[in-house]
Amino acid sequence: MDLAIVSATPFALAVIAPAVGGRFRRSALAWILAAAVGALFGVFVSWLPIISQSGPLTAELPWVPQLGLSLSLYLDGLSLFFALLITGIGALIILYAGAYFHDIGKLTRFYGLLLAFMGGMLGLVMAGNIVVLFICWEITSIASFFLISFKGNSAEARAGALQALIITGGGGLALLAGLALLGGAAGSMELATILSSGEALRAHPWYVAICLLIFAGCFTKSAQFPLHFWLPDAMHAPTPASAYLHSATMVKAGIYLLARMYPVLGDTALWQVALTAVGLATLFIGAFFALRQRDLKACLAYATISQLGALVALVGLPHGEGLKAALIGVLAHALYKGALFLVVGAIDHATGTRDLRRLGGLARAMPGLAVIAVIAGLSMAGLPPLLGFVAKEALLESLIHSVQSSPLPLLPLAVVMVSAAFNVTLALILTWDVFFARPRRANAHQHTHRHAPAMLVGPGMLAGVSVIGGLGLESLVAPLIEPILTEKSALHLFSGFNLPFILSLGAVIGGAAVFAMRQTWRGWRSHTLPTGPQLFRGAIRLVEWAADGVLRTQHGKLRHYLAVILVSVCLLMLTAGLTHVNLGALSVQITSSADLLKVVLLISSLAATFASILFKRHLLAALALGVAGYAVGGLFLLEPAPDVALVQFLVETLGTVLIITMLGKISSTARRRTAEIVWRQSRSGLLRDGLIATAIGVGVGLFALAAVTHRPQRDTVTRWHLENALTQVGATDVVAAIVTDFRGMDTVIEITVFGLAALGVLTLLTRPEPGKVWRLNVPRVARMWRRISPGPETQAQSVHAGHRADHPHPDGEAHVETRETQAAMHEQRTASKLDTPLTRKVAALILPFALLISLSHLLYSGVAPGDGFTAGAVSGIAVALWYVVYGYEEARRRLKWLHPARLIGLGISLAVLNAALPLLFGQPFLVTTQVRGLDLPAHIHLTSTMIFETGIFLAVLGGASTILETIAHPRDVEQL
Amino acid sequence: MNVLFAIATGAMFGLGAFQLLRRDLVKSAMGFYILFTAINLLFLAVGAFDGSVPAYTDELSKGQPSDPLVQALLLTAIVISFGSYAFLLGLINVASRRYKTVDPDQVDQLQG
Repeated sequence: MDLAIVSATPFALAVIAPAVGGRFRRSALAWILAAAVGALFGVFVSWLPIISQSGPLTAELPWVPQLGLSLSLYLDGLSLFFALLITGIGALIILYAGAYFHDIGKLTRFYGLLLAFMGGMLGLVMAGNIVVLFICWEITSIASFFLISFKGNSAEARAGALQALIITGGGGLALLAGLALLGGAAGSMELATILSSGEALRAHPWYVAICLLIFAGCFTKSAQFPLHFWLPDAMHAPTPASAYLHSATMVKAGIYLLARMYPVLGDTALWQVALTAVGLATLFIGAFFALRQRDLKACLAYATISQLGALVALVGLPHGEGLKAALIGVLAHALYKGALFLVVGAIDHATGTRDLRRLGGLARAMPGLAVIAVIAGLSMAGLPPLLGFVAKEALLESLIHSVQSSPLPLLPLAVVMVSAAFNVTLALILTWDVFFARPRRANAHQHTHRHAPAMLVGPGMLAGVSVIGGLGLESLVAPLIEPILTEKSALHLFSGFNLPFILSLGAVIGGAAVFAMRQTWRGWRSHTLPTGPQLFRGAIRLVEWAADGVLRTQHGKLRHYLAVILVSVCLLMLTAGLTHVNLGALSVQITSSADLLKVVLLISSLAATFASILFKRHLLAALALGVAGYAVGGLFLLEPAPDVALVQFLVETLGTVLIITMLGKISSTARRRTAEIVWRQSRSGLLRDGLIATAIGVGVGLFALAAVTHRPQRDTVTRWHLENALTQVGATDVVAAIVTDFRGMDTVIEITVFGLAALGVLTLLTRPEPGKVWRLNVPRVARMWRRISPGPETQAQSVHAGHRADHPHPDGEAHVETRETQAAMHEQRTASKLDTPLTRKVAALILPFALLISLSHLLYSGVAPGDGFTAGAVSGIAVALWYVVYGYEEARRRLKWLHPARLIGLGISLAVLNAALPLLFGQPFLVTTQVRGLDLPAHIHLTSTMIFETGIFLAVLGGASTILETIAHPRDVEQL
Repeated sequence: MNVLFAIATGAMFGLGAFQLLRRDLVKSAMGFYILFTAINLLFLAVGAFDGSVPAYTDELSKGQPSDPLVQALLLTAIVISFGSYAFLLGLINVASRRYKTVDPDQVDQLQG
């Protein structure tokens, strides 16, 4: 639990600091936050003896137990080592940033990002689960993106940030795949399990893939060649962030993960070759390019790349011989490079430039800074008694020890020697040239304002630890490193005049010689090879070009998109059908007259559908479709499925009424013109559509055949439904039992969807004209509200207002009618042709009868065909008749009690309430309550499903009435 | 018998797809509706067993009942089809008012 609190603290601070930080003075805020992070450092220090004596600390919070995932934390020696670096250096950076930023707003923003990064980084090293590890890994990448682009108005900073994010993020994706494979191979996402299954993993067939993917993640994060170039471009970040993320901690995440995975995946031929080859290449390239930079931060960035290469190569050495050197290297590098970055930040702050050519002789103005820089530079050059010396000795020692058996013993040694010499040269440039020599350019920095003393605390302490760490090696550094290494190995500041020492001395002399000749080689320039960023931009352009190519296929013709989708679906169906169709089971037996009738109905439904395609007029096509629907209803009846047949007949009727009234709302001119286009369609177009349709027909047909010949004949849930309908729901009608109880949730969702569709139609058709959509038009909104629940007094007004606003002008034709004639025609049109005394009487009579039929459907839903749906549809048809016969205004006047939109809400609420009510009595959702022993007349059997059915009835009636009322609204009625 | 239903499903689907591809939004909507019907036919055909009596508990003794589960699914499917058909027609209505046409190739303001 302590672990969880510690790991969550930086995140909590990251939220609090930007929120309340503005109320403090800058220095106060810096001290408070630094103290908080310093306290974390103290906690980690106090855990050191516990871990070295009794092993790792762990904590586990449940997360997704169904997937076996937990937010587990794992703190062993390696994690603690990195955690100490993160919190220790973090506290100093926070203190330094308080003086670095003048603007409190920028400072709090910086703190928020930095602390979020710190949380991610701490989580990364403390993760006890590779899922948690990956999430934290990505948090650090994202925080790094925001910190690099901190100066958001600089295009270079944004480009650098994006480049870093794409490269580390791409590596992160590879890492995700690698970790997923790793978890799969180990059978667990928990680090503890993975760490103990090393042998099985190394022998696993996925081993190579796991390794390569994890390498991709680590190499991109730790800026290894050839994707190292994001790191120099990341130097647009504020210097404290560069010091912290891009030198001391984040770029070491790859090293951490490699060291963490070493006992599991390490020490194979692949591991050794990949790590040493990439590491040594990076080591040399970084050291070489560091000398060619003019910007101090770029020098440091390339030197960091070089050092990271050395660390990767060390982790790759056989038998774990390089691990000790790698750990000392991480520590020494974090200390001296952090100090140097902070020194550069202070120089930049004081002089306004980081250009090597314009800087020189700063020691007089900034003596304290000069001392710190010299100490850090000496550590970088690897001179005793500093920690950098120990690191370099350890590096050389383990390298010499392990390369003796390699086929090319001299190459790695030569690379390391040359790079070490270059490092010495760079250290001399950074200290001698900047602080003691005279500037090379005449236009040197003009003014030097004093830097804040607080800016000395951070780098001073880092440099101080470099000294103390070197001198007090055995008491300070050894306890840190010992819990990590399996075998005890002694640490010495000076181990005699052996081969490493001689090589080290040679590197120092060589580096000094290169430094002395700097006037000569500075002029050399070569521009033959493209640089990394150029290649990167080329790759991005290639992606954009490919994207443009893809975009060209989006031509905007919906029908053609549809054709592509349909053909793809049909291919899927075809393959499924072809592979699964059971030809042996294909047989057609027409045994009874019912079967004969089914064949007739099938043929007539197909014929009517075909006719609907042939009919040029929409009205006829709609009627033909209605005939097809009735034929299908007949098929349902013969199945025998009386409930379905009843619904099919009723809904088909409603559907036909719907499309015919809807056709009246769509401009007949537009429809006629479109029909002409359709009928003049080219033969090739017809052929194409015909072929697609045939292919789809064949595909679906084969699929259907496969489905029909593979029916499960028994042991389906159906048996259970048949046996339990009467006992559990009290309904002899098994279909009704399924709809209201067994699959009641489906029904609730279904009426909700239906109600929403109806409300959707209402909103669509009462929507303002285009162009006025986003303007808040109060009278119009009010009018829309009145349309939803029209009262009698607003009726005429709304009709006329709606008419003026929405009357369509047939496109392109001269519109000569005046407003008066329009109004007159409007009155005429709204008066229905069906409005005769007889139809009025019939309609008036039908509605009450329809409601009675609905009532009977509701009361006997469990024992006879008919249920809430049919009840709603019957009443809906009666309401539709009223709208057709009386016209909109009179129907609304006579049906004042009918508020369709409200009925939808009422129905759905009733159904949900009825379903939820049993929860109050500790029973499951949707359970049915039956009232037994009550002998009601007319065989009525009371159950709670009746309430449910009533809800369905209200929702369906409301939905159907909403749709019909919306369509009947006489805004732009035209003759059919 | 169900083989015939399967073939009819395929035929109905083909007709629906053809109608769906017409250059006329109203006809496309009708094509959509034909597809609904075709799916309903398929549902009817793939029920667990061919029934001879309705799925009522008091009829079970008289013979094999028709599969009630697909019937319940059909009930849902029919009502939902009606709702989406209405919504589709509403959309077409709005499109035709805005673009003064029901030709999908002239409804082009969404093009990038």
